[in-house]
Amino acid sequence: MPDTLPDPSAGGDGEPRAGGAAASGPSETPGPAGPSEPAGPSEAALASAAQEPGAFSASGSSSERAAPSGASEPPGPSDRPDASGGPPGGEGGRDRAGIELINVTKRFPGQRTPAVDDVSLTIPGGEIVVLLGPSGSGKTTTMRLINRLIEPTSGRIIVAGREAMGLDPNELRRHIGYVIQNAGLFPHMTVGTNVGLVPQMLGWDKKRIAERVDELLRLVDLPPEQFRDRYPRELSGGQQQRVGVARALGADPPAMLMDEPFGALDPITRERLQDELLQLQEELGKTIVFVTHDVDEALKLGDRIAILDKGSRIVQYATPQEILLNPADEYVEQFLGGAQAMKLLKFSRVADVPLQQVPQARPEDDAAAVRERIGTADDSFAIVLDGRSRPVRWITAADLEGVTGPIGERGEPAATPIRARNTLQQALEALIQIEHEWVPVVGPRGVYRGTVTLATLQNAIKEMKEQAKARRRQDRTAAP
Amino acid sequence: MNFWEYLSSRRELLTFETWQHASMVFQCVVAALLIGVLIGLAVYRSETLSKFATSTAGVVFTVPSLALLGLLITPLGLGVAPSVVALTLYSLLPIVRNTIVGLAGVDRTLVDAARGIGMNRGRILLRVELPLAWPVILTGVRVATQLAMGIGAIAAYVSGPGLGEQIFSGLARLGGANSINMTLAGTLGIVILALIFDGCLMLIGRLTTPRGIRA
Amino acid sequence: MSAPPREPSAAAPEGAAATPDGSDLTTRSAVAARGSLHAPTARSWRALLEPVLIVAIGAGWMVYVRNTHLDSIAARVLTLDYVTRKTWEHVELTVVATLIVLVIAIPLGVLLSRSFARPATPFVLAVANIGQSAPAIGVVVLLAVIFGIGFWTAIVALVAYGVLPALRNTMVGLQQVDPTLTDAGRGIGMSATRVLTRVELPLATPVILAGIRTTLVLMVGTASIASFISGGGLGDLVTTGVSTQRTPVLLTGCILIALLALLVDWVGGMAARYLAPKGL
Repeated sequence: MPDTLPDPSAGGDGEPRAGGAAASGPSETPGPAGPSEPAGPSEAALASAAQEPGAFSASGSSSERAAPSGASEPPGPSDRPDASGGPPGGEGGRDRAGIELINVTKRFPGQRTPAVDDVSLTIPGGEIVVLLGPSGSGKTTTMRLINRLIEPTSGRIIVAGREAMGLDPNELRRHIGYVIQNAGLFPHMTVGTNVGLVPQMLGWDKKRIAERVDELLRLVDLPPEQFRDRYPRELSGGQQQRVGVARALGADPPAMLMDEPFGALDPITRERLQDELLQLQEELGKTIVFVTHDVDEALKLGDRIAILDKGSRIVQYATPQEILLNPADEYVEQFLGGAQAMKLLKFSRVADVPLQQVPQARPEDDAAAVRERIGTADDSFAIVLDGRSRPVRWITAADLEGVTGPIGERGEPAATPIRARNTLQQALEALIQIEHEWVPVVGPRGVYRGTVTLATLQNAIKEMKEQAKARRRQDRTAAP
Repeated sequence: MNFWEYLSSRRELLTFETWQHASMVFQCVVAALLIGVLIGLAVYRSETLSKFATSTAGVVFTVPSLALLGLLITPLGLGVAPSVVALTLYSLLPIVRNTIVGLAGVDRTLVDAARGIGMNRGRILLRVELPLAWPVILTGVRVATQLAMGIGAIAAYVSGPGLGEQIFSGLARLGGANSINMTLAGTLGIVILALIFDGCLMLIGRLTTPRGIRA
Repeated sequence: MSAPPREPSAAAPEGAAATPDGSDLTTRSAVAARGSLHAPTARSWRALLEPVLIVAIGAGWMVYVRNTHLDSIAARVLTLDYVTRKTWEHVELTVVATLIVLVIAIPLGVLLSRSFARPATPFVLAVANIGQSAPAIGVVVLLAVIFGIGFWTAIVALVAYGVLPALRNTMVGLQQVDPTLTDAGRGIGMSATRVLTRVELPLATPVILAGIRTTLVLMVGTASIASFISGGGLGDLVTTGVSTQRTPVLLTGCILIALLALLVDWVGGMAARYLAPKGL
């Protein structure tokens, strides 16, 4: 599955997030429906795996995942809501992969204050929603209510369009991936057995389980031949956690719960696994509830972040940008720990800012036509794409002076592209290092999206600030 | 008559007593394993019950075997019955305790993970908890077996079956010609049996413990 | 048990306690020792309840049995004087044997755990294991065949039987001391002897004390067998009871042996608790 291999050029950063820039992106931009993209063979297999006869997954995942393919308005797997977006929550239609908590309360016997107090939260399908809060803020409890590891005292929980309370809890859990700190792999079972547990419980036949296990191991970048028959203790912490993720994906659940999964790892491994998770998410478009107390991790991974306070109240539920630009109150501000501006650069993605569009050309295009497209302005140029829409070269009108026929190999090689999923900080670094003023931006599989200049970034930041200001002027009641 | 001559002259009797001894220990330990694991399963989830079970076990454990056998012959009479009951009781204790310790020692996060991926109680017990506790339970079985071997010798005092008969015959003929041969035959026979059983149990442990949790 | 655990770990707590006929089959791991299963409970009044209860039951039984109708044989045996003497003999056997065992086993254990003796360790432990699978009664009778019967033969038998587990406990206790701590000791300039006395022995104390407790209980149990070779002790009541078919005598012997074992175990437990270095 080449798509999930860490991208060497991006230092393990991997594929960018799809979507987000759709509004400003060129027409060739492959829709934000990441998972519907014809991808590697495993994608097909995933789809077939999703045809699990189990009622839950059939409705929850396979149709879900099949639906957006080619559709122009996807419910947006990995559709990162842009900073300017209105109140969070694409509540529009019934979200068939999403999770909804409605007035959920959990009281533990013998405790005066409820552990979770009347929480309502809508988790849109295909998004990573991070529950962020200090210890004791009930974030883990809230998460565990979703797969009913903790039974709510009152309230409704809807998972992928089904009332969770109306389902057999075990059946429910088999269709919600569950990843915990230190992976929680069963030490007496091989990696393969661990990964194949859920399919096995669902009664798949041996051959199908074996195939699924191999596929999942490849998906998390652990060659099956090498890892299938190992035991968890023979693996590093990072590898164990990858197996944990693979196990959670066993029956291709529409949703996944992750409870501080990277909390026990060293910083470098943690970063890598975060990047890999994003990359995986780009491909799979799961609905992920991610619990952490690490602000940076939340900002990095979350499409939305729900910040919980000590009283297990959700004080702010918004996109990372929104939270950075417009913290709901002092508590949130304190929790973010200052340096918001730098965090904005560090955690905003290139995909989130409007890209600059320049004329495009193909090597086989006629020079005259291209010249026309470029126009006459001094600093204008066209970007030359190869057969797979990857930027290879840039060309100015001057380069085409007196040329007839196809433009061919004219122009100059383009700068190494940055990825739509890279952060603004990375974009800034790239811009400072290269000799020209712009860099091409590419999406998944290196497909050209647009270009970025220092001015783009400046404008984006200005834009964000203004939005924040406007918002502040309106009212301060942020999203639920 | 030297030791070897003694052995060959009593070959039939010795074989029979060895077999009796082995069979008695085996049966008592198997019975204790079944009962002990069941008790362990019944109590391990409650700390109070676990404490109660283990401290009761501890008390009975502390009672010397001669005393327990003596106490048992009052209601059960002499012979096989008190021997088997005593052996099973003593075997029960390490097994109960190790079952509780083993099950309680299973990492709670693993049980949580098992629930999280949708295993039901029975499956968690069979696929996660018991396999992980198994090496500890098996250690209990080894302890119990070795224990039962030794106590089996004293059982002969209450006319129980087995190699203890040789030792007590030796004791009765103290100073007599075959006294040392008899005692030696009984003692060595039990040592050898104990080693064989322990070897078998170790092998079983090796075969039944997944590589992933082998020490 | 031919493969003793080198490092006691929480993952594989070994069953550990004095075994009734005196075979201590297991290594008292640090874990097992800490979580001693029949250790006196935390509160002091409850800790004191146990011996009071034990003595009360013993006294109660004596009062009861003396007030039942006893025939002349039983009555002759069940005098307070005789029973006290037998109990005392039992205590004597136990204490003398335990002291000798400790005098032999602890220095030997320390010696065998020194680095120069490390290669011999597995061998010694294996012998200890095999030795322990010998039935106590067999050892006692064999020694009687060799040395004749009597108190000192009984002592020799008890020592022979008790020394191996005690030795093993000492060795395991020393082995399980965290090597980084001995390293730290050397690192701040302690001599090898100082490391032993200031670091290793104090840290091994809980396990060694647990071993002493085990040895004590083991000795009580084995001492009851000593009566077979005229070693005296409460076992005499049992043998008399069986041979004369006097149930009250038999029961008295059994009950007193059981109570004595529990009492000695309690004493061992208290010692383990109060003699262990603070902070462990």
